[in-house]
Order: sequence, then structure tokens, then C-alpha cells
Amino acid sequence: MTDLHGIIYAFHSFPELGALQMPRTAASLPFCGRYRLIDFSLSALANFGVRDVGVIVQRDYNSLLDHLRGGKEWDLSRRDGGLHILPPFGLPSSHLGEYKGCMEALSAVRAYLSDIRQKYVLLTRGDLVANIDVAAAFESHVRSGAAVTAVCTAQVPDSTHHRYLTDAENKVTDLLCTQRGNTGGVTALEVYIANKDALLELVDYCSAHRLMHFHRDALKHFLARSGRMNVYMHPGYCRHVTSVDDYFQGSMDMFDLAKCDDVFNKERPVRTREHADASTYYGEQARVRNCLIADGCQINGTLENCIVFRGSTVGEGAQLKNCIIMQNGAVGAGAQLTNLIADKDVLLSEGTVLAGSPGLPMIVPKGMRI
Amino acid sequence: MLLAGGQGSRLYALTVSTAKPDMPFGGKYRIIDFPLSNCANSGIDTVGVLTQYQPLQLNRYIGGGQAWGLDTADGGVYILPPYQSMNAENSWFSGTANAIYQNMGFIELYDPEYVLVLSGDHIYKMDYSEMLSVHVEKEADCTIACLRVPLSDATRFGIMNPGPDGYVAEFEEKPKQPKSDLASMGIYIFTWKKLKEYLIADERDARSDKDFGKNVIPAMLAAGERIWPYPFKGYWRDVGTITSLWDANMDMLSGTRLNLFDENWPIRSNTQALPPHYIGAEAEVQHAIVTEDCRVHGRVTNSILSNSVTVEAGARVEYSVVMPGAVIESGAVVEYAILGENTRVCAGARVGGAPDGREDWCVATCGPDIVIGPGAHVDSGAMVYKSVEVEK
Repeated sequence: MTDLHGIIYAFHSFPELGALQMPRTAASLPFCGRYRLIDFSLSALANFGVRDVGVIVQRDYNSLLDHLRGGKEWDLSRRDGGLHILPPFGLPSSHLGEYKGCMEALSAVRAYLSDIRQKYVLLTRGDLVANIDVAAAFESHVRSGAAVTAVCTAQVPDSTHHRYLTDAENKVTDLLCTQRGNTGGVTALEVYIANKDALLELVDYCSAHRLMHFHRDALKHFLARSGRMNVYMHPGYCRHVTSVDDYFQGSMDMFDLAKCDDVFNKERPVRTREHADASTYYGEQARVRNCLIADGCQINGTLENCIVFRGSTVGEGAQLKNCIIMQNGAVGAGAQLTNLIADKDVLLSEGTVLAGSPGLPMIVPKGMRI
Repeated sequence: MLLAGGQGSRLYALTVSTAKPDMPFGGKYRIIDFPLSNCANSGIDTVGVLTQYQPLQLNRYIGGGQAWGLDTADGGVYILPPYQSMNAENSWFSGTANAIYQNMGFIELYDPEYVLVLSGDHIYKMDYSEMLSVHVEKEADCTIACLRVPLSDATRFGIMNPGPDGYVAEFEEKPKQPKSDLASMGIYIFTWKKLKEYLIADERDARSDKDFGKNVIPAMLAAGERIWPYPFKGYWRDVGTITSLWDANMDMLSGTRLNLFDENWPIRSNTQALPPHYIGAEAEVQHAIVTEDCRVHGRVTNSILSNSVTVEAGARVEYSVVMPGAVIESGAVVEYAILGENTRVCAGARVGGAPDGREDWCVATCGPDIVIGPGAHVDSGAMVYKSVEVEK
């Protein structure tokens, strides 16, 4: 049996996600026609046969609960173990407001962590779009003998500021916290595999010293005490979705079929909740170019570079360019939409004209009827 | 009790290695999704599926019935294969009535008042609970769902002639001179106690074909049991032949025939979540059904693509039904055809063809897992079982 436990942080909210995160936590943001961001982390764990996963939530998690239910889709509805939703249950009296960092979140569920029956724990953020080969990362962790392995990428995403300097054996020699440019080292995906004992020690240390952050506080302390830490390089696509720009660009990235095939690797399928949708119907007037379209849609307009989620309709003569229409969207006949993200259950009636710009896409909030 | 054991011999190459109810249909579905979804939507929670011919894929597909919401605590979907016992009677199912006869023990486990007998090869949406309330209200021993068909077509069906009181007075199999337009759909509700009597009697009759339509219903009628014809208004197709399978698929392009987008009567299927399909920058897709995980770079019109189908740039698919995983390479043309699962039509090959005013055409069919070689031609109406190379 897999000796790895999964912990997914699903408490993050990011002001830069604007209206997209109003009704939900970032981890439950709909992505690429039918998925939620958390599906990527859960599927990576499920594809390695991980049987126990804790999802740390704090607020606005009703949409996430609705999506995860019992975890059946990820083989986490088990007689023993399975999926555990972890709202705060052990907060110190000093705690105020949102978790300031992952260490505070871990402290809040300290009782759960001590009960983990596996020797190793994988910690990841629920807002990461990547298809991580957990088997390879785990093998690398065990083989290296390190107490902590950071999954890293050779890419340099703009917003990431966690970096590691390594020696020839992928052993971490130093840790960097910088937000600007490429200052050397490899970029952390904020996915870690840690020995449970080492993790608990770090949680207790940070809790005692009121330290909040995993990278800046816990790992710095760990390295300072000559802890052994390694990196594992994730060779494929990766992107954290923490802003509207990330979301829009990340979505548009999927039109690059090489990236799309990497994320939706058939050997490690991305699993999600299954719905009763018919196939999509294209009408006589449909003109569709470079689009990703989910099941259950009825398309009769002109679409270019669009992602259309389950159950949406696009009326005759509607023209959509660079748009993302989330679940159950209804675009009326003759509407003209450019650089727009329509959240779930949006109705854009006949003839609506709306446009954002590629750098600043327009967001139509969930349930809005125009 | 869902009869899903027939060979589907009139589908030829398509049913060599799989049972007819497992046949992909309308893009996302398999034929058996329709009766199973109807059961779930009608509030029936215990379904026995009688399998016999090539059951492995079908068994895997049905699983525990979870996909249709039938995996409840007390109910569920149960695969009922033929089995052996100390009783020499247990062996292969020799007819529809014999299949139920051999599984009387299963029905008795649940001790029901009524039993619904369904076919696994019909495409339709029907609320069986309404049919049951009519059965109860009419105090019938058997209620048969029937469709009003044009009298000219009635010669192809089992026709029920109601008496003055509305109950069936006469049942005629494929009558030359039909007296009524009420055609049996092969969907029956029986009062279980009665059915049991007739199944046992039918089994003892050495001359019987052990068939509901040919033997059991006429026997009940002859004995004066009350049989009520339940008229069904709506779309219903038997998809037992290549032509009817192709026709019914084409019907799905017209949302008015059978609305698959109706949230009040969802047809569910047991599918793994797949990524959305991709329509390429040079593709043309019109009046077509496309399913998840397809990659379309060519031209697709008047056609139905199941999941994970690839249509390469410069390929053309018209008036065709393409089953999961099929690949149509660049420059290939597929017209008026059915392509089986995972079949590959290589570059420059042609499969099927016709109209342009022609009337003497048939649907070309390629079985599953075969390769139509580069430049090969498959004629209109052909039935291809094995991979085809170019003839030199």
C-alpha cells in the first residue's frame, strides 16, 4: 500500500482573482471546460494510489464541498481512510482572521497530522495546474534519503518567489525568497514531500514561535539545522492560478495541444466529478476555430479561441473571441463578446456587446443576467 | 428485468466482439443507457440485466449501476448470466421467456408485486411509473407498451387489436392485413404471480419457442387474462439493424426527436471524465454531435462523433457515425458510414458514399479495431470485418 498521505491547501484566497473568487476558494475555481483547480492535485495523488488525503479549508468552501462530496471520483471514498475535509479545529487563541501561511494552517489541524498513518506526507496547493508524476517524485524522495523534497520547475513563473539553490546531487544548499526576476536556483512549485516526523517537528517549532510560512520560516529553520532537503524537477507544464491574468493565460495555454496533452496526460488522467451531459451539438450556423468545448453544449455561433464549459449554449450569429464561458452559460443570438470570462450560470442576452482586453479580461460574475 | 443477451446478429461486424446493448450511440451513450436511465428516472431501484452473448464489456460497463444512480442500499443492478445448477433446466437462455424463467429465483428474492420486462436495444425515454399506475388502475395481468404506427408499417410489428372494453382482444405477429395500428414495443409489465404461472407452463410446453411475443402473450390472451395496451407517445426506435442504428443516430442531430438535453429526464452513461474536445483552427464542424476528448482538425458535417475520435486536417466526415477512439487520417473521406471503435481510416482512404440524388445506397460499416489502409476504398453498403489494404 502507498506509504504517502496527501495534504492539499484549499484555504487560499487571492485578491487578484477578483470576482472569480467571490463565490469560492481558489481551489474550486472552474478550469478548462469541466474541471476545478483542485482536481489536478487530487488526481495526481489518486493516480499514485494515495488512499488518504486531507484538504485544509477555512472559508468559502461550500462550492468545494459540493464538488468533492465523498471523494469517489478520486478513489477516496474508502472503507478505511479516504478524503478528509479539514476546517480549522485547533486554532490558538491568538489566531485572527485568515490563515497567514501554510504553517498556521497545519498547526490548526495538528491533531489530524499526528494521526496520519503513513510515513510520508505530500503537501500541495489546490490552485496548481500541473500533472505531477507523484510516483517519480516519491521515488526520488525515498531514494535521496532527504527528510524533505521540494518539487520544482525549470520554468520561471512571474509570481513565484520561492527558489532553491542546489548542488550536483539535487541537494538544497540554500533557499531564496525573492519576487523579482530570475535570481538563480530552481523555482518551487510549493509541492513538498516530507517525512511525517520531520513535518510534525516543523509544525510544532513554528507553532511555538508563531511562525506562519512553510518556505520562509519552517524550511529556513530546517536548513539552518542542517536538515537534508532535495529537489525533484517536474518536467511538464505548471501554473499556479492566483490572479485573473494567471487564469486567463493558463486557460489560453490549453490551446497549445502539447501543453494540453501534458496536463491531461492519458497515463495519469485528471479525474473530476462526472455529470449526466449529452454530447455537444453544433448547429448549421456554427463556425468554430481553435476552441476547447465540453460536453452538453449547444453551439450555433462563431467562436474563436474560446473555452466553453459543460451545459452552455451559444445562439446563432453570436461572435465570441478569446472568451471563457463557464458552466451553464447562455449566450444569446447576435451577442458580441471579446476577451471575457463569464462565471457559472451567466446569461448574456441577445445582442449583448461586451469586451475586455487581453491584459484585462472582463469578468461577468456568477449568476449575472445581462 | 432487462433482456440484454441477444447476439445482435443483424449488426454483423459491429457485434462480433461485443453485445448490442453495449453499442456506442448518439456520441456519449451506449444503447443500454436508455433503458437503465429510464429505470432510474422512473424510480425503479432493482434491475436484473440478463446477459448471454459477449457479456464481458457489457458487464464491466454496467458495474454496480452507480453511473445511473442505481447503487442504492436495498436495490441495485445485477448482471444475470446463464448458470448451472442441480436442476438440468438451467443452461443457456433459449428465448426471452426462458431467460426470465431461469431467473425466477432472482425475482423471488425481492418478492415484487409487479415485474417490468425490457429490451436492451431500444432508444427512447419513457416513464415506466406511469405505465405501472395504468397497469394497477386497469387491474391488468399484463400491460404492453405500444406505439401507434402507420398501417402500412404495421405489417412489420406485433399488432394488438383492442376489444370494445379497451383490453387487448387479439394479438397478431406481423399481420398481412393489420386491424389496428397499435404495435408492441416489447416492453411489458406483468403482475408477478400471473407471469410466474405462465412462465412455468410455457417451460413445460415442448413446442414453445419460449418467447414473450410468440408464446407467453398469446397463451395469456387465450386463457382470458387481462392485457392492457399502454399507448406510448414519443420517440422510440429499435436499433437492431445497421440502417436503423444509423437512422437513429442521425435522429439525434435533430433535437426535436429525442431531447437529450432535458434535465428532467437525464440519460446517464458510465464514462470516465475526459477533457473537452478541441476544434482546430482550420476545422469546420456543422450540424454535428461531438463528444469529449475528440480532436477535430478537418471537416465534420451531419455526423456523430463519440469520445476520443481524431479527424485530421484535410479529412472529411459526412453523414457518418464514428465510435470511440476512431481515427480518420488526413485526406481520408468517410461518408454514409459507421466506423467501429478504435478503427483507423488511413490517409487518402475512402469509406462509403452515396446520395447526390442516388437512392440505391446503403450505409458502409467498418467493425471495431481495424485499419483501412492508405488509399483503400470501402464501397457504399460494404461490411468490413477485417483490415483492408489497397488492392494492387
